[in-house]
Amino acid sequence: MTRRLAPWLLFAPVLYGDEDLARRAMDILTRNCLVCHGAARTSGLDLRTREGMIAGGSRGPAVVPVNPQRSLLYRFASHEDKPSMPPAPAAKLSDEDIEILREWILGGAELLGAGVAAPIGEAEKKAALARLEERPITDEERRFWAFQPPRRQPPPPVAGAASIRHPIDRFLRQAIEARKLKPAPPAGRRTLIRRAYLDLLGLPPAAEEVEAFVRDSAPDAWERLVEKLLASPHYGERWARHWLDLVRYADSGGFEFDVDRPDAFRYRDYVVNAFNTDKPYDSFLSEQLAGDEIAPGSNEAMIATGFLRLGPEGGGAGELGRQDALDDLLTTTSLTFLGLTVGCARCHNHKFDPIPQKDYYRMQAAFFSTRPVSHSLADPAAVAANKAENDRIDGFQQPVRKAKTDLEAPYHKRLIEDAVGRLPGYMQSAWRTPAGQRSEGQRLTVRQIERTLAAGELSKKLTEEQVVATMTREDKIRHRELIEQLSTLSRQRPAPLPTARAIGEFGRQARPSYFLHRGSSDARGSLMTPGVLSVISRREHPFPAPPEDARSSWRRRGLADWIASPENPLTSRVMANRIWQHHFGEGIVRTPSNFGKLGEPPSHPELLDWLALEFIDKGWSVKSMHRLMMTSRAYQASSDDIAFNLEIDPENRYLWRMPRQRLEAETIRDQILAVAGTLDRTAGGPCVFPYINPVLFQSSTRRTWPGKSDDDPSTWRRSLYVFSKRSIRYPMFETFDQPNLVNSCDRRNRSTIAPQALLMMNNNFLLVQARHFAARLRKEAGENPAARIERAFRLALGRAPREFERVQAAAYLAGSAEGLDGLALAMFNLNEFVHRQ
Amino acid sequence: MSQRFYSRRELLGRLGGGIAGLGFADLLARQGLLAASRSPLAPKAPQLEAKVKAMISIFCYGGVSQVDTFDPKPELGRRQGEAMTGVGEIRTVMGNPGGLMPSPWSFRKYGQCGMDISELFPHVAGHADDIALIRSMHAISPAHGPALFQMNTGSILAGHPSVGSWVTYGLGSENENLPGFIVFTDYRGGPINGAPNWSSGYMPAAYQGTPFRPAGDPIVDLQPPRSRGRDEQRKWLSLVERLNEKHLERNPADTELAARIHSYELAFRMQTHATDAIDIAKESAATRKLYGVDQQPTEYFGRQALMARRLVERGVRYVQIFSGGGNFEPSWDAHWDLKGNHDLHAAETDRPIAALIQDLKGRGLFDSTLIVWHGEFGRLPISERMDGRDHNAHGFSLWMAGGGVRGGTIVGSTDQYGYRAVENRKSVYDFHATILRLFGLDHEKLSYRFMGRDMRLTDVHGHVIDEVLTAQPA
Repeated sequence: MTRRLAPWLLFAPVLYGDEDLARRAMDILTRNCLVCHGAARTSGLDLRTREGMIAGGSRGPAVVPVNPQRSLLYRFASHEDKPSMPPAPAAKLSDEDIEILREWILGGAELLGAGVAAPIGEAEKKAALARLEERPITDEERRFWAFQPPRRQPPPPVAGAASIRHPIDRFLRQAIEARKLKPAPPAGRRTLIRRAYLDLLGLPPAAEEVEAFVRDSAPDAWERLVEKLLASPHYGERWARHWLDLVRYADSGGFEFDVDRPDAFRYRDYVVNAFNTDKPYDSFLSEQLAGDEIAPGSNEAMIATGFLRLGPEGGGAGELGRQDALDDLLTTTSLTFLGLTVGCARCHNHKFDPIPQKDYYRMQAAFFSTRPVSHSLADPAAVAANKAENDRIDGFQQPVRKAKTDLEAPYHKRLIEDAVGRLPGYMQSAWRTPAGQRSEGQRLTVRQIERTLAAGELSKKLTEEQVVATMTREDKIRHRELIEQLSTLSRQRPAPLPTARAIGEFGRQARPSYFLHRGSSDARGSLMTPGVLSVISRREHPFPAPPEDARSSWRRRGLADWIASPENPLTSRVMANRIWQHHFGEGIVRTPSNFGKLGEPPSHPELLDWLALEFIDKGWSVKSMHRLMMTSRAYQASSDDIAFNLEIDPENRYLWRMPRQRLEAETIRDQILAVAGTLDRTAGGPCVFPYINPVLFQSSTRRTWPGKSDDDPSTWRRSLYVFSKRSIRYPMFETFDQPNLVNSCDRRNRSTIAPQALLMMNNNFLLVQARHFAARLRKEAGENPAARIERAFRLALGRAPREFERVQAAAYLAGSAEGLDGLALAMFNLNEFVHRQ
Repeated sequence: MSQRFYSRRELLGRLGGGIAGLGFADLLARQGLLAASRSPLAPKAPQLEAKVKAMISIFCYGGVSQVDTFDPKPELGRRQGEAMTGVGEIRTVMGNPGGLMPSPWSFRKYGQCGMDISELFPHVAGHADDIALIRSMHAISPAHGPALFQMNTGSILAGHPSVGSWVTYGLGSENENLPGFIVFTDYRGGPINGAPNWSSGYMPAAYQGTPFRPAGDPIVDLQPPRSRGRDEQRKWLSLVERLNEKHLERNPADTELAARIHSYELAFRMQTHATDAIDIAKESAATRKLYGVDQQPTEYFGRQALMARRLVERGVRYVQIFSGGGNFEPSWDAHWDLKGNHDLHAAETDRPIAALIQDLKGRGLFDSTLIVWHGEFGRLPISERMDGRDHNAHGFSLWMAGGGVRGGTIVGSTDQYGYRAVENRKSVYDFHATILRLFGLDHEKLSYRFMGRDMRLTDVHGHVIDEVLTAQPA
């Protein structure tokens, strides 16, 4: 989160204190200039003291305080004058560095103690800075529970109940009995099947499935049900959603232009398939971090690396933008896989956890060489053919473009002359002044006029339409012909080939990256080698050398190997806790992405350790964990309150009952579609755009939402497939606390507000689906109102209506004009409908 | 974050009142009992002495030119067409710097304080003695997207709660029948970044801004379909209520279930309250005339300003009105034709803003309301595209007025050209800290725990701008 501190990098001086500025300026000089213009006094110049700067060298004063334009130091460093400094082959200073120097000279070029009163050598300076980079870890810090390996302990025996055999129950019972809580009785079959469906598939069971399960008296009925659901393709859709929250998945780039990412869905489908095929979690995470290095040539692995490109983009340019994007990636990676806020160590050592700033930059070094790659999913022959065809059309279009420009030129010139004639006098006189005699201001003015009116592309100030309007009739016709020729040719271009958003590098050699003091790219420290968290890894984690034919540095693979290792105390705990969280409402650690000091300690530490080790023992199989958790008594317990327990543990921390939970936005919508009988169960592929009232996104003139009508069945896909646009969010999801698509989200807010009720009562999607539900009831239950009511409850809630409900519903049907449509809508609005019990 | 809105005792008391069989009107009658419950928007006491209860933010999207409105620079006329020198390298967003360009508008002194204001804002100028003007603002980014985020959320990056969210989070709302944080966008479209400008970021949805349409139904999905009349709706709601209340009997201590039942009552009341709140037909002819709602070019903004007053009157905590929308021409973003651009937008807003101040005063609300006026940054003193001005985050003006604000004050100054804030520089963090202070909130203490860190509107920055306060904070 400390990356919020860093934006000053872009326009740095604005937020600097004078001392800060002086120190930064001196850092820049130290790094770039003092080798020659320090003790060596090349050209007689010594930049180690202010006096030396002002006295200057053989070319004159290097610094004229308050006047950067007259300071040779600035003019040479900014390449406004030659010789450029530092001399080739050294690179030009970054824009930020140049800006800092300028600001500092402007402010008087005071050193304020940052300078070298008694000049010190380069080596000493380096050593001093390098010392700042070290932050040793104490043994005490290593002893923090989350950094210790999980301890293998057998589930404890339960004193009063020998029949309790399931290991999870034995761990839980111990805590329940210790607090004299009464464990809840088992839930009814109807509740259970609905719970299992909503948890594993995010969809309700069909009425017939409920009845079949209720009647199934075989002892393994529950186990078979769980297996059936785990084999459903909808299981991956449900659990992918949890994962996508963590990795802040979206189908657009965010910020001002919020550019769509039409290929992003391939990553989403990859996640769905990974859950459906029970891809071992260690492989799953490794592919996302380093798929290109682990399985070169595999389309699936390349698509997985799309993880590294999920963050928002377009917020900042240059070095700052790059550092911000890397920070976002590192923050998300550490929260998601490690449950730690490593991102907090960007500008300083972590304030609460033993995460040195150097760990941050060593981990960053693993990602530093990455570059975006558009990975072609087509075979090479098709790619070549596609390119050849595009080249051919380019060849045809080129002469037509030239003819068009030539045709416009004389008209354009005349318009420019007219426009200049309308400018204020001082601008016109600048225009008329011969080039050699123009003042600086006149030079700027003339260049501005030229660039405004005569830019290669017709500027907005002077549109193509205006130029065409002044043409003769013949030329207008000719102009139109040329435009038509161009567009005819464009239409012949082949359809683009399928690609995936993926990651690559520039070669085996990693790009150098550095420790950045205070998170600032102007304050480079040592060159960083890739590394991992030193609180966990006492010895240096070995990063593999890339093989001869590698196309990347293999640093991400090294990092992935460490995270995915069974030795890593965090990885298995964090994921086991997340699986638990989505079955039991809350994690054993209730801050699922923060296992650090500011996170909550585990409510059942022994159980968490046991689960983490089971997870590894079962080959990192997520489905095994579902089986394990769902076969416990705890999972199958009733969610009803027990008044006695409420006094002791009102928050149900010790899981004496199953928690009740408001469903997520997406599950509410999916359930509505399923119950209405309209759900299109097609899996995967490009996103859909359901209707959004344009009032809610007129705010985006450069952005579009090609929403289809609520009546359009093609939008009745599962919510996972609704396009996630960062600036235009689907209102139902937004209102029901869908995460903001920008930050990693480990646990959704669950607020209850009036706009949710308004939407559920009045939104057209709801009304349309209520009508479909009503039509379904008519079809399936016939004319009899009582039969319709019965069917409505069985479809929506998986149970028959109770007497009170029958009476109320019948009275409503008899006394209201909306009748069955109204009852159908009411079913969607019931607390029982939007809660998992 | 599953929130506990009701204490168990409150709930049991509520159930003791009896539910089953009551009609909807009876349910409404019980609202008194429910009002005491802790909904996310229930009013909370401020941490410090509060000067204001509500705020109206007038956001001139695109960036207002300071040197043409509130920060006169005669030097631009004296040196027209000359290069701007002595300020270091000038970096422009569009990369086409020209020479110094004089303002096409003249300035004069207004009020007892003698504040210089241009002829673009003659009506606002009439309230110079009510205004605290800050001429030394600076922001981080000269690009619209990040700058809008900074002005609205403190951070140049997306994903953070907006000022309105922080204020409603800190203080709740005084009228649960209306959203606590309401946004009006320009009729030409809203600002870029879209809804994240008024998002609650990582906070619950309860604190996000609700866009209000200034005609018809103010909120999307506010009203039932025409086929469902008021009576039908009552019947329907009554059915839902009864079934939900019955369901609650099974677990009477469940505050979330109870809160959800309550939310339908609120929604029902919001239907009438929200519509009524924007019904300016109920205003007198004189008031309508004051805001210019029946004439061009003030009609649209005038309506919104008048609605803002009606909302504040009803206890809404934070209203934001955007002037200018979409990209380029329709906003204050005058990359060319500065004259036409600022003439248009100032004419649309000047009179309604002055009317708002006058009207609030007439109703005794001025002293409990804060009005702020600003863009996301200022504009350059040099020309762009011959007759426009490019973005400038190094220096710009904004003003505040209302309760606790020392009118007639001018804080800080820019350099001779109006390019860079030089004296008594104020950051956006300072501005935000000051807003919170006027609400009685301490920007260093108002925090929200997210991902293991106590987040603040002002991050680790910000100093209250004491110069604009009537009294120094204790």
